[in-house]
Amino acid sequence: MATVTNWIDVISATEAVGAVYPGAGTMVGNMSHETLLVVIGVVLWIGFHVITSISESEKLSQIARKRAGTNDHKNNITNW
Amino acid sequence: MTDQLTALQSIFSEFYYWVTVVMMFLIHVGFCMYEVGVSRNKHHQATLMKNTMVIPLVTITWFFFGWWIYWAFPTGPGIAASIIPLADGSLNYGLRTDDGLFNANSYLANSPLMGVNLTDHLGGVFWAAFLLFSWTAASIVSGALIERITTFAFLILAVAIGSVFWTIDAAWGWHFDGWMLKVLGYHDAYASGVIHAIAGGFALGVLIVLGPRIGKFSSSGEPRNIGPRNPWLVTVGLFLIYTGFWGFYAACNVPIYNLGPEYGVEGVTFWTATNIYLTPTTLSGITFNFLMSLSGGLLAGYVISKGDPFWTYSLGLAGVICASAGNDLYHPIQAMIVGMIGGVIPYKLHYWVENTFKIDDAVGAVAVHGYGGFIGVVIAGFILNGYPSSGYSVGAMWDTSGTFALINPLGNFLGAIIMFLVLGLIPGYVLAKILNAFGKLRIPREVEIAGLDYQIMEDDKEAEKAFTSTATR
Repeated sequence: MATVTNWIDVISATEAVGAVYPGAGTMVGNMSHETLLVVIGVVLWIGFHVITSISESEKLSQIARKRAGTNDHKNNITNW
Repeated sequence: MTDQLTALQSIFSEFYYWVTVVMMFLIHVGFCMYEVGVSRNKHHQATLMKNTMVIPLVTITWFFFGWWIYWAFPTGPGIAASIIPLADGSLNYGLRTDDGLFNANSYLANSPLMGVNLTDHLGGVFWAAFLLFSWTAASIVSGALIERITTFAFLILAVAIGSVFWTIDAAWGWHFDGWMLKVLGYHDAYASGVIHAIAGGFALGVLIVLGPRIGKFSSSGEPRNIGPRNPWLVTVGLFLIYTGFWGFYAACNVPIYNLGPEYGVEGVTFWTATNIYLTPTTLSGITFNFLMSLSGGLLAGYVISKGDPFWTYSLGLAGVICASAGNDLYHPIQAMIVGMIGGVIPYKLHYWVENTFKIDDAVGAVAVHGYGGFIGVVIAGFILNGYPSSGYSVGAMWDTSGTFALINPLGNFLGAIIMFLVLGLIPGYVLAKILNAFGKLRIPREVEIAGLDYQIMEDDKEAEKAFTSTATR
C-alpha cells in the first residue's frame, strides 16, 4: 500500500513525484484505487441520507404522538 | 519548485488561502449562533444540528462533484468559447474536460491532484476556500427555513445550493473564463450575486412552498413579530459573520500574480494582487471598502429600523453584501453609499414581501442576502460602467474567441436575474415542490407546536429527576 518507501528517492528524482497517499495510482481490479475510494464515499453519502430520512421520520412521529401543547416544553426545562 | 522566487510565491499563496479558510470558518460559527439566537427555545438544538450538518454534507459533495462543476462549466456549455483552445487549436464551447490548462478532469474526485500531491501546493487550499463559500450559500438558506423544515429536506437542499447551483453560477460569473464576463460583461468581485443573491433567491423559492411558521400570521393575515430569543447570540453571531466575511474578501483575491506575461504583454512585469477575475486590485483598497460599506449598512440600518438591534446588525451585513460586487474598484465613499442603499432597500422589501405574499423569512435572509445581493450587482453595473471585465480582452495570449464585454448596467442587471431567479428561486421552488410531494419537506404540525427539541428536553428532565431523587437520599 505504501506509495513511498524512501523519501530520499522522492526528493532527488529528476521528475517531481506527485501523489504520495497510500495506494496512489494503483489498480484494484479494473478500476483505480482512487475511483474505488470515490465509489465507497458516494455509497456512504447516499446511505447517510437514507438512514437520516428513516430515523427522522420515526423521531418526528414519536413527538407528534405526544400531542404536546405550545408551552408544554417549559415543563421540561432543567435546572441543573 | 525549482527556484526560490517560485517557491516563495507558491508557499505564500498556499499559506495565504489556508489562513483565509480558517477565518471563513467563523462565518459558519456565526450562522450557527445567529440562527439559534433567533429560533425559539423549543427548537434550539434542532436548529443548531441542521446547520452543523451542512459542514460534512456540503464538504463531501463538494469533493465528489462540486469542484469539478466549477471548472467544467465556464462556457455554459455552448454559450461562449473558452479562452483556452482545444489541443488542435479549435475553439471549445463544450464542458472544459479537455486536456488544456485548468481542465475540469484535474479536479475530479479520483484525480491524483485531489490529495497529498507534491507537485501541487494550491489545489487543496483553493478547493477549501471555495468550499467555505459553499457552506455559506447553504447556511444563508438555512436561517430562512428554521423551526418547520425537516432536517432531511434541508440537507438535500443544502447539497443542491452548496454543491450544484451556486457552483454553476460561479463557473458562469466568477471564473476568469466564464461566459457571463464575455457576453454580459458581468462583474461581481466579492459575490453580491454569485453567493448572496442566488442563496437568497433559492431560500425564497423554498419558502413559497414551505409556508410560514404556525402563528406567524393571524387569521386575518396580519404578520406577528417572532423576534430573536437571544439577542446576545444574534449579536456575537453576526459579528463573527462580519469577521469571516473579511476573510472571505481576502480569499476571493489572488495574493500575488505577475499579470504582464499572463495577459500576453511582452516585456512587462506587473506583480499585484488580483480579484477572482485576475484583474488588479489591492488588499489595502478592499479593506477600505469592506469597512466603509459595513459602516454604511450599519448607519442606514440603525436609522431605517429605528435602532432595532436585530435589523441594525443584519443591515450592516446587507451593506457589505450590496457593495461587494464592486468593492474591488469603488472609492470608499462610494462603497459607504452603496452600503447604505443595501441597508435600506432590503429592509423595506422584506416587510413588503411579508405583508403582500405572506412569506415568513425567519431571519431576514432573503432580504439581507437575496435583495441586498441583487441590488448590489445592479448598482455595480452603473458605477463601473465601461471598466473591462477581464484583462484578457486586450491582446491576451489565450484570447482566441474575441473580446470580453465591458462592464455595463444591462449586463449586470441580466446577471442579477440569472443569479437570483434562474439559478436561485426557480431551482429552490422546484426542489421544494418535489420534496413536498413526497411528504418530506415540512415537519408535522404537532411537532412544530410541541417543539423539535421536545423529546430531548423531556429526556433531560427525566434524567434530572432521576439524579435529584438519588442525590437527596
